[in-house]
Amino acid sequence: MIQLYLQTGILILMVITGVAALLVDDLLAAIILFSAFSFFAVLIYLTLGAPDVAFTEAVVGVVSTTFFIIALNGLRRRCSK
Amino acid sequence: MNRRFGSVVLDTAFRYLVPFILVYAVYVLIHGEDSPGGGFQAGALFGIAIVLEHLVHGDKAFLKIPGTWAVAVAGGGALFYGLIGLFCILSGGNMLQYGMLPLMQDVVERHVLGILGIEIGVTICVMATIVAIFNALTGREDLL
Repeated sequence: MIQLYLQTGILILMVITGVAALLVDDLLAAIILFSAFSFFAVLIYLTLGAPDVAFTEAVVGVVSTTFFIIALNGLRRRCSK
Repeated sequence: MNRRFGSVVLDTAFRYLVPFILVYAVYVLIHGEDSPGGGFQAGALFGIAIVLEHLVHGDKAFLKIPGTWAVAVAGGGALFYGLIGLFCILSGGNMLQYGMLPLMQDVVERHVLGILGIEIGVTICVMATIVAIFNALTGREDLL
């Protein structure tokens, strides 16, 4: 039962961070929110009993965050508008 | 390695993080059968270590795969995987049938060695692909 509550809470946090990453104007903030989304995805994979997928998601989350920030550095603008 | 570079935070983060990331990547690769991990994760960890080193040291990085070499190394990793599969066919089995590898050990050890071989190929391919994407994003593609 406690696992159900845990998964529900993590899923709600995933929805909140995902929608916030789409709606926020600052691109750096969107990248940070996306990495938070990735972290909650790691937690939900762990609670679902798939540590292999969770490990992959954690590693890919770090790599993609780095790549997004480098690409943002080359874009020379911080705002989505 | 005794010279200071950047700020204290960069210095400490680099000196403490990168060796542990490299050792952990080797552990994930070798121990991937009984614990979470495997070729893809180990390659991504190696890629993270190289990218981190580039981010801290810039052009003076010593762990580097320059320019178009990264794509060539990625192709080499895939070729290594394919050659092991082809070697099994040439030894009289199917593609990737490790039991037919012409080694001295018994069948179980041949399986383990074959799987370790293709995981090493996957590791090299993933690492070089991450470094190639990094080179393309930072405009270091043409450096040879």
